[in-house]
Amino acid sequence: MTKRIDMKGIGKSFFATRALDNVDFSCVSGEVHALVGLNGAGKSTLMKVLGGVISRDEGIIEVNGERVEIAAPADAGRLGISMIHQEYSLINELTVAGNIFLGRELRRNGPFLDKSEMARRVKQQLDRFGLDLDPNRPVRELNSGEKQIVEIIRALMSDSWLIVMDEPTSALSEEDKGRLFEFIRRMKSEGISIIYISHHMPEIFGIAEQVTVMRDGKIVLSERTAKTTEDAVIKTMTGTELDGFVKPHKDIDGNVTLSVSTLTKPGTYNDISFDVRRGEILVLTGLRGCGAPEIAKAIFGLDADYSGTISYGGKQLKPGRGPAASVRDGMGLVTENRDKNGILPQLSVRDNIALPFLEKSVRGGIIDGKRIDTLVNKAIADTSTKTSSPDQEIRFLSGGNKQKICFSRWLDPDLEFLILLEPTRGIDVHAKADIYRIIEELSERGVAILILSYEIDEVIMLADRVITLYQGSPVSEYTYPNFEKDQMLSDMAGVGQPH
Amino acid sequence: MSDAAVSPRRTFALDGLMLRYAVLVGLIVIASVGFSLANSNFYSITNVGILLRSISVLFLVSMGMTFIMLTGGIDLSVGSNVAFSGGVGVVALTTTGSATIGFICALLAGMAIGWVNGVFIGRLRLSAFMVTLATFALARGLALVIYDADSINVDNAAFLWLGGTSWNNLPVVIPFVALMFIALSVLLYRTTFGRNVYAAGSNFNTAFVLGRRPERSVVWIYVLSGALAGLSAIVTVGRVSSGQPWAGLFLEFDAITAVILGGTALSGGRGRLLGTILGVLLYGIIINGLVLTGTNPYLQSLIKGMILLGVVLLDTYTQRGKSV
Repeated sequence: MTKRIDMKGIGKSFFATRALDNVDFSCVSGEVHALVGLNGAGKSTLMKVLGGVISRDEGIIEVNGERVEIAAPADAGRLGISMIHQEYSLINELTVAGNIFLGRELRRNGPFLDKSEMARRVKQQLDRFGLDLDPNRPVRELNSGEKQIVEIIRALMSDSWLIVMDEPTSALSEEDKGRLFEFIRRMKSEGISIIYISHHMPEIFGIAEQVTVMRDGKIVLSERTAKTTEDAVIKTMTGTELDGFVKPHKDIDGNVTLSVSTLTKPGTYNDISFDVRRGEILVLTGLRGCGAPEIAKAIFGLDADYSGTISYGGKQLKPGRGPAASVRDGMGLVTENRDKNGILPQLSVRDNIALPFLEKSVRGGIIDGKRIDTLVNKAIADTSTKTSSPDQEIRFLSGGNKQKICFSRWLDPDLEFLILLEPTRGIDVHAKADIYRIIEELSERGVAILILSYEIDEVIMLADRVITLYQGSPVSEYTYPNFEKDQMLSDMAGVGQPH
Repeated sequence: MSDAAVSPRRTFALDGLMLRYAVLVGLIVIASVGFSLANSNFYSITNVGILLRSISVLFLVSMGMTFIMLTGGIDLSVGSNVAFSGGVGVVALTTTGSATIGFICALLAGMAIGWVNGVFIGRLRLSAFMVTLATFALARGLALVIYDADSINVDNAAFLWLGGTSWNNLPVVIPFVALMFIALSVLLYRTTFGRNVYAAGSNFNTAFVLGRRPERSVVWIYVLSGALAGLSAIVTVGRVSSGQPWAGLFLEFDAITAVILGGTALSGGRGRLLGTILGVLLYGIIINGLVLTGTNPYLQSLIKGMILLGVVLLDTYTQRGKSV
């Protein structure tokens, strides 16, 4: 039996902002419907209306032609609509089956839980979709990809037929992505309908039947994927031609800023050696678990548990010397998780930018507010960060603008070495181009830059030199412009590596 | 976001802060008028002086508590610390006869308790609630031992000056509190230390990665709170001309209530000293008014509890509304 849901003429305003404007959106069972748009285009608002999280101002929702009311998340659940969020809502201490049956546990005699029956039913579902996962494992032992599977299975087992996935691949390794896409194909053939929110064109054109693009609260394109192209979608998303980022040419002949020699941490990374010169961009790449973030931590003084040496400006660094010493010596770090350790949410944009080099604006023990304002205003302009004022609390900004602020705090002229972990994770195309431009400007100024990136196109676009890693060991090194994408991908995937 | 959509937001943000203070000032006026109608003595110059002096200790302790709550912490030990550092100061005074040594010993004793709190909370990352609950008992125990559970009379004029002297109807402690407010405001808003307080409270991990040494800032913040408890001890001894082993009882409760009343976020990172000053004033006026209008003293604790619960409820709900 095919099912369909239609949202017709949906409108929603927040004060003066028209977040959704006469939006029509529908979904048919057995299909993947991709929903794309820049941050703030209205995708999340539309999905929150569908999920009963926020109320709409106008419009109607129909399931199979019959009008329904979705006033609360419970209503959406009853209609078979489930949302899978980027942050998982699983309880770490319970098992896979325990999580899936949470709140509607099966009982044997009276109050006692029938754990084996719950595990058996979960196993049955997992087998049905060809997934290999032990229902009795505690969730705390699972990786992101497996947790996501548990979330989806939980939705399916509570009779959901429409599943909304918000950026499902943002925290997944290549291997987990492949498994997720296979899972999605199986769900389609079982008549499940999926709304797939993503920025990744290859993913969308790989699995979706229909693609809808939102911009400024309106639908600007809704088309079968077979009848449109990646470029057309990108173009409608931004409204203009995508600002192409072209890597400028440069010669790298400066002094060595950072030198790493035979760096080893057993089980994490192994025999890593490289130099980074002034103005050079070195990119470490691999799959998740390749050890690159841990190498960055060792360099920044956050980890003392390694052997080998790290020299900076000709001097050997003391293991675990702490970030305060690193920043004092002109090192900077942009972390991979903005919200966890990148921003100070309740503080102003000004405080977020000025913090690392605050001491330089102190006169006689007192902070020179004017000097700070000058620096901050310049940083905001240089990074084209969109904020209403430097007094704005940073938590109200979009992901892309938050990330720009994480960069702009390191624009100080004394910065010599910058580490970037996944510099464009979870941000839209426009912000990405800005971030690439900032990185290039820093390197032209002579800053040595070490980047960890998992996105091969980004690696090739930014790097002067690339080192591929597989399970903590270096595979090979590439120098601009001799980047062979296919070879890099097989390095990362461990092709030809012993088992 | 276009520039046109931008400016209203800024005024709105300012309104949030200003609104809070406007409401507090309004409530202060309403409470004063109400109590002065109920009791004609309320508005006499003498009573205003008495009122301000009676809450001078609460001003000092609450300002220290503001720094701590801005880091997302709490200091339950301040009341006990007032008794302990007062005991150390009074014993040092009576032994040596020197008011200066008495002052210094009281301050150092207060800072010592603060340092213990700070090291366990900042360096060893234990829960502020648990650590200061322990020192709450520990400092009170030390005070009882020092005093041998009995009060000690003090007649050294220099030692009693800060808490006991008045210029006409103005107790000297009032300008002293005002000076401390200015000094602590400069420290909080115009120095790197102050910025580090906000950074540690907003996101400890980020502050650490940016090289701000939040673990070190937190130690000094608790030492500051301890120093203010030491000062409060000197004021307390001056007010009653004796050192009391049960001084500062329930002071931590009053301070926490006043700070929250003043708009400092329970989660840290947001709040200002001005709010705390207004919070202490409003809270002090209500408590003082209840005494003057002859309200059953047993009811006072009930009313204090209701105020705290009400403010926390209000803040939590308005905050939840904003974050959606």
